[in-house]
Amino acid sequence: MPKLSLAAQLDQAIQALLSHPDSVPPVESSLAPLVRIATDLRDLPREEFKARLKSDLERKASMATPAVTPFREGFHSLTPYLIVEGAAKLIDFLKQAFGAEEKFRVPKPDGSIMHAEVRIGGSVVELADANAQYPPRPTNLHLYVPDADSVYHRAIAAGATSTHEPVDQPYGDREAGIRDPGGNNWYIATHKAAGPGQFTPEGLRAVTIYLHPKGAVQLIDFLKRAFNAEEAARYESPEGAIVHARIRIGDSILEMGEAHGPYEPRPTGIHFYVADADAAYRQALAAGATSLTEPNDAPYGDRTAAVLDPQGNSWFLATPIKDVPLP
Amino acid sequence: MARGQPRSEAREEISADRLLIEAAQRDPRRFAELYEQNFDRVYAFSARRVRNREEAEDLTSEVFHQALANLPRFEWRGVPFVAWLYRMAANAIVDRWHSTSKEQIDPRRDAEDKAALAEVEQRASLFQLVASLPPDQRRVIIQRFVEQRSIREIAAELGRSEGAIKQLQFRAIENLRVRLGGAHA
Repeated sequence: MPKLSLAAQLDQAIQALLSHPDSVPPVESSLAPLVRIATDLRDLPREEFKARLKSDLERKASMATPAVTPFREGFHSLTPYLIVEGAAKLIDFLKQAFGAEEKFRVPKPDGSIMHAEVRIGGSVVELADANAQYPPRPTNLHLYVPDADSVYHRAIAAGATSTHEPVDQPYGDREAGIRDPGGNNWYIATHKAAGPGQFTPEGLRAVTIYLHPKGAVQLIDFLKRAFNAEEAARYESPEGAIVHARIRIGDSILEMGEAHGPYEPRPTGIHFYVADADAAYRQALAAGATSLTEPNDAPYGDRTAAVLDPQGNSWFLATPIKDVPLP
Repeated sequence: MARGQPRSEAREEISADRLLIEAAQRDPRRFAELYEQNFDRVYAFSARRVRNREEAEDLTSEVFHQALANLPRFEWRGVPFVAWLYRMAANAIVDRWHSTSKEQIDPRRDAEDKAALAEVEQRASLFQLVASLPPDQRRVIIQRFVEQRSIREIAAELGRSEGAIKQLQFRAIENLRVRLGGAHA
């Protein structure tokens, strides 16, 4: 019997592969790489499917409003605004401990800092020196880093006080606590259950504000009415107190847990980029907020207003209205 | 991600990835480019763990619709965009676990397993290469593997001998082997 050509032998193997998907037929060694390719080709996608899905997605995308982000570049909906005694010292600390990058600072004639912005990971933190009008308001921040242990030790070396050493928490975080030179508490964490190369739980960024209000349930209710907040997660104690909650506001998360023991309410400043500062201001007042500043055009190009929530946090509402070059 | 890829190239790919994502976040119509870049990978990833073409298509469709919807919330963390898609695909497979998985292997492990991902990456390259074959070879591959037609049917449709179709099939696969750079060898 004449020996089959290689093309015929390959086809025999392919025929076997197609009719018995789970078996790879034996072939002579020169054909083996080709049979492996043929095996993979069985999963070749249909071109019509690829084209149809693409046009479905294009139709859907064209209906979506182009994302006109009402944020200044690099910002998200929520940004912590820290008012501290010794802002310059705190900036140095954030650089040394957390690798913060200083974006800019606006000094006052007396050398104190009127406004500064630093970037930590994908988050911006704003800060300013306290003064008579704005006394210091240290708060709590949740910081996700690739290696909580080493950042904790760097923070201590840079002058922080330890509030707790790194421990493995039952919720999958390696977590430590420090107090920075400005009096802010930082929960430094690595989310070990995150995917490859990630260390932050889904939806969170490097820095998240963590509030410990007395009456978290009421605060969440207020945030829903004032700022269209949504509950992303809520864990309650058997007594019904909120142990931990994640509240989505715009594209950001605000975390909170009911005040208890050393975790006292430390109301803070929150810079909140919204699509329409005037409308957000009115909605917040209707929900029970107190006005701090009526809507006005700030010299740095934002339409701004400020309100106080029932727990004493200041919300600086802002919508960029024109581009003003940064100093 | 591909095996043996030099680091600098991987970095370039990641920064190109990032620019594309940011463009699509500003204007969702740019999502088509992310789709073109990742379709074969997501499809290859899904096809490994389901029983048939319909399920692989369903999953792929679900992943891209979900990716488009969630794109504004995607935050760049230095991990390739496709890793995010793989995770979505793995979760979607787990959701349908009982009805569709080929084996009881958690597909979420695939999304983190270098060897599994290298295999997916390689299949995705193979799928892309099919498009670059000469038209007659490409037609035979598609009819044979996607439409599952017999050599006789293909020969009849193209008005050629069965031997000629087998030759075309052989040359096409040999071509793919060469273009894959021996990765399959």
